[in-house]
Parts: sequence; structure tokens; C-alpha cells
Amino acid sequence: MNTITSIGTAPLVELRRVTRHYQIGENPVIALKGIDITIQAREFVAIWGPSGSGKSTLCNLIGMLDSPTSGTVLINGQEVNDLSDNARSELRNRTIGFVFQNFNLVPVLSALENVMLPLQIAGASSTVARERALERLAEVGLEKHVAHRPAKLSGGQQQRVAIARALVTDPALVIADEPTANLDSGNARRIIELMLNINASHGTAFVFSTHDQRLLESVKRRVLMQDGEIGSDSHPTRPAVQTRIAGGRP
Amino acid sequence: MITWFKLATRNLFRNGRRSLFTVMAIGLGFAAVNALGGFTAYIFTSLEDSYIHIQGNGHMSIFKKGFLNEGKLDPTRYLLNEEDVRVIDEVLAAHPEIRISTPELNISGLVSNGEVSTIFLASGRVSSKVDVIRSRSRTKVGNMQLFDGEPMSDETPNGLGMSQGLADQLRFKQGDTVVVMAPTVNGQINALDGQMLQTFNSPVEALEDKLMLVSLEFAQSLYDTTSVDRINVLLNDGLLTESMRATLQSELVARGLDIEIKTWNELSTFYTKVKNMFDVIFLFAFLIVFTIVVMSVINTVGMAIMERTREIGTLRALGVKRRGIVGLFALESMLLGLFGSLFGVLLTLAVWSSIATLEPTWIPPQITRRIPLEVYLVPQEMLWSLLALLVLSLVAASLPARKAARMEIVSALGHV
Repeated sequence: MNTITSIGTAPLVELRRVTRHYQIGENPVIALKGIDITIQAREFVAIWGPSGSGKSTLCNLIGMLDSPTSGTVLINGQEVNDLSDNARSELRNRTIGFVFQNFNLVPVLSALENVMLPLQIAGASSTVARERALERLAEVGLEKHVAHRPAKLSGGQQQRVAIARALVTDPALVIADEPTANLDSGNARRIIELMLNINASHGTAFVFSTHDQRLLESVKRRVLMQDGEIGSDSHPTRPAVQTRIAGGRP
Repeated sequence: MITWFKLATRNLFRNGRRSLFTVMAIGLGFAAVNALGGFTAYIFTSLEDSYIHIQGNGHMSIFKKGFLNEGKLDPTRYLLNEEDVRVIDEVLAAHPEIRISTPELNISGLVSNGEVSTIFLASGRVSSKVDVIRSRSRTKVGNMQLFDGEPMSDETPNGLGMSQGLADQLRFKQGDTVVVMAPTVNGQINALDGQMLQTFNSPVEALEDKLMLVSLEFAQSLYDTTSVDRINVLLNDGLLTESMRATLQSELVARGLDIEIKTWNELSTFYTKVKNMFDVIFLFAFLIVFTIVVMSVINTVGMAIMERTREIGTLRALGVKRRGIVGLFALESMLLGLFGSLFGVLLTLAVWSSIATLEPTWIPPQITRRIPLEVYLVPQEMLWSLLALLVLSLVAASLPARKAARMEIVSALGHV
């Protein structure tokens, strides 16, 4: 088992000996094999590795979209394994924003309505939600496209709407699942710059899975996933890979 | 709430054709139930009105106790005498809820044309009072003349009406003299001459060759009595029938009369049978509509869930709770039910106005004349149908919606 230790005193995300097993037909699949990882507030973390290495599973567990088979997931120091589905939904809405590879915008809502959605799920009034959504859309440069539905927007514009939606509740963490995978290089570059700017200006932590080399080059902390284990973690303050073999002493 | 409403409404238009067919199925079901409901309301109202007003029986009848059970064998033992009638009239006069009351004596005997004789059954009534009861009819049939010839009148106490079958059998025509024979209450044979005024159709086919109408005076003269067998009572408001029956019963018993009061629906067994039959037909129709609506909604919502699985995952990822997903699909389903019902209201109005404009006629059972066919508009029934369809749509959607809400978020997000 690999053990990676991040620095910091108040971890935003902490996974302790987390495993995730699936059953596909009659075959058991071990997606994660005892992961320990800590992510601090304001970090910008890329999770990379080959297909099937466990990147998405790790992102899903950090985002409380899935539950571990064993081990513990803590968000802001709170153990989330045993929370009810309702409590997890509320915590997810308050704390985490999501950006998906396929943008996953609601097609019948305009860009503005899509961005307002997380706030309205939280119970904010339409006026407040509208105001904050307009601010977020302006930040991502889409103030002229607020009334457009997703089908009328380009891929890059849709992903910017998705980023605005992920940020509208001022979450501590944004999880992005291959955010540039479906974009051309120009749009991919703009999305990378946008995320970096938001990280720098708002202090929002980003965790994203990617294959995109351009994105990896812009990231200080890169976590390599290999066969359900963390192969390496290029921590910004620790130049060397922080990997130990399972059973080893720190 | 507005956002969810907006989202639900727009989602219905994502697959407009499918939603349209579901709305049409619900609307047609709604119209079928309400058109049938309107027709049965017409039938029930007509039957009620026919018995109470057109046939002049009123809302209730007062009998000497035992008349209905044993009076057929020995009717003269169970007649209300002059003193009984006087007391009853006094009690009835104290109630402003009563519009009018009229005595009646039913007789039977032989009717002859001088060559052949046959048996008859006749009601002896006070024509002027029966006319008042008839004038209160609320149906189109009530305004129609249901006899051929002259009306019965108090001025011609020996005038009589005859069912068409009986008149044909004895070859009587209007103005002919009719010999009527019957035993008096003392057992003597009595005979009177009557004047044929009108022919009518019997409400019961088996009695088409037996029924006659005579004046009360004629009936009493034939039976050589001043008694009657019942007092028919018409109320101003039919809804008071049960309460007035109880009141009159206790007051008349308190005055020393051994009487019983039967309401119109107890006496009109035909009404009860027809009502029961139509209730069963209505139940079948409703079950068919129920099945159509439930299957349509389950299909529509099920398809929508399959097509929008990833969207469900996205909404759950953004923080929508399971009950929120159920609520969203429930709202969509209720909107389908609402739009369907509104379409159904329009269809029902179209059916109603077409029938009101075209004024078709028909010959219903037990009537030999063509009468107007109507479909009533029953807003209360339409409101209940709307609520029932909304609830049905909601219930039908709940199963697939609950399944959708329980999907694993990760699986939903990965759905292609």
C-alpha cells in the first residue's frame, strides 16, 4: 500500500486507507487499493495516469459521489462515510463544485439558469441566485451569452458555463473530470488559464483528472495513479516523490 | 419552486410528440369519463324527474302502514279515510317546505267497449294538482306532451286516459264512451261510464295493454269510497326529502296515525336498478381510463428517465436530494396530468356543445316516443376527474421516479 502525506494543518480533503471494489458481472474489480492522500485548501492538484488506473474513482470518492468499500473519507475534518444521503447532498452542494468532461449542462435551461441551479438547490432566492450567477458568468467571459441554451454554445463556452456553475456557491473545492478532454487546444488553454486564475484569485482548490499534458505542465502538484495505487505525488513543496511501499515506516 | 416548475415544463417539450400523445391519451380518457358521467347524470336526472314530476308522484308518498306489503291482496283494508286525510293535510300545511300534496287512489277492474272486456289498472288523481307537480319538471321531456288527445281536467271528472295498447285492443278512440267496472269496497259490482280523452304510452311495456288514468272522483265513485290509498307530497327542495320524511313521520304518528312514508327512490325500483347498472358501467369506463393513463404516464416518465439518466446524475452531484429527483418527475407527471385534463375539459365542452347544438333525439328504454338526448355538463365531476387524474399521474410516476432517485450517482453520470 502506498502512503502519501501532504503538508498542512487543516486538510480540506483527507482519505485514509481507502479502497473501492466493484463487481462487474462475476468478476471483482479493485479500483483503489488503500489510498492515503491529503489535499489542503487552495491547492491545484492534477490526478493523472492511464485509463483504468483509478483516477475517476478517486475523484468520485473525494466528491462524495461514491462511497469507499473500506477506509475513511474526511471533508474539512468531517468523516463523510456514515453521513445520510441527504447530508452528503447538502455537504456536496455547499462545499464542492463539479466540472464534467461532457459539460453536463441541463439542456433546457439557459446558461444563466444553469449557473443559478446550485444556488437554487441550496434554497437561495431567485434574485440572489441570478445576481451571483451573472457575476460568475462575467468572470468566465460569458456575460453576452447568459440567455443562450447549451446547444447554442460552443464546447469551450459550455465548459466555461460549467466552471461558472461549479463556482457559483463559492465552494472550497472544485473537482473536474478531464475538463479539457472534449475541447480543441485553444479552448483547452483558455479553460486551464481560467481555472488557474480562479485558483489564484479566489483560493478555490481544484482537483482534476486529466490526460492533457498541457494541463499537467501548468500544475504544481501532480498525483500519478497506477493500477489503483498512487504511483507518485509531485508535491509543490516536496520536489521528491512522496511514495513509500506498503508496510514501510515513514 | 419556480425553477423546478420551469424545468419540469420545459422537460415536457424535450420530446414534444411523446408528451403530446400522453396528453391526448389523458385528455381522451378525461373526456370519455366526463361525457359518460354527463350522460349518466342526464339519465339519473331524467329518471328522477320522470318519477317525481312527469308521472306526478312527488318526492314522497304517505301510506297507511302495511299498504305496500299486504295492500295488494286487500287494498280496501289499508286505505286512508277522510279523517286521516284531513289530519295529514293539517300536518302538511304547517310545513312551508312542502310545495303541494295530492291524494291518489289506485283501482283495478274491467273495461269494456260493449263487446269485449279486459282488465285494467288505473290511477285516480286530482288533475289540477298533478299539473302543478308536472310544471316543476326541470327536463326537456317535462315540457313535451306525452299523450295524444285532450289533457285530463278537474272539469271533466269522468274523463279518462288509456294506454295506447289498451285503446287499440278495445278499438277506442278519443271521445268514445268507455264502460268501467269494479267491485266497490263493500264487494258490490259497480259500473261507470267514462269519456275517452287521451292515449299515452305505458312506462312499462308489460302494462301497455292495461293502464288507465282517471280522476280521483271517478276512482272513488267506482269503489264507492271517500278514501284514498296514498298522499303524494312534492317538496320545494328535493334535498330535504330524507329530513322531511323523518319530520312528517314523527308528527303524523304523534297525531295518532298509523302510517308509513316512502321516498321516491324507494318506490321507483327502476331508477335504483338503472342507477346501479350505470354505476357499474361508469366503474368499467373509469378502470379503462385508469389503465390508459397509468400506462401512458409510466411509459413517458420511464422513457424520460432513461434518456435523462446522466442529467439525473448531474443534478444529484450538484446537491439535489433523492426526494428532489422524485419531486421533479412527479411535477412533470402532474403537469402531464394537468395539461391532459385541460385538453379533456376542452373535448368535453366540445362534446357537450355539439350535442346541445345538434339536439339529437333517441328512444330510451321504457319510453316509446323520441325524446332529446342530452349530455349534462357536471363541473363537480370534472373537478373530481381532474384531481383523480393528477393523483393517478403522480402515483404512476412515483415508481420509475423513485427508481431514478435511487440510482448510483456515478453510474448515472457514466450513462450513455
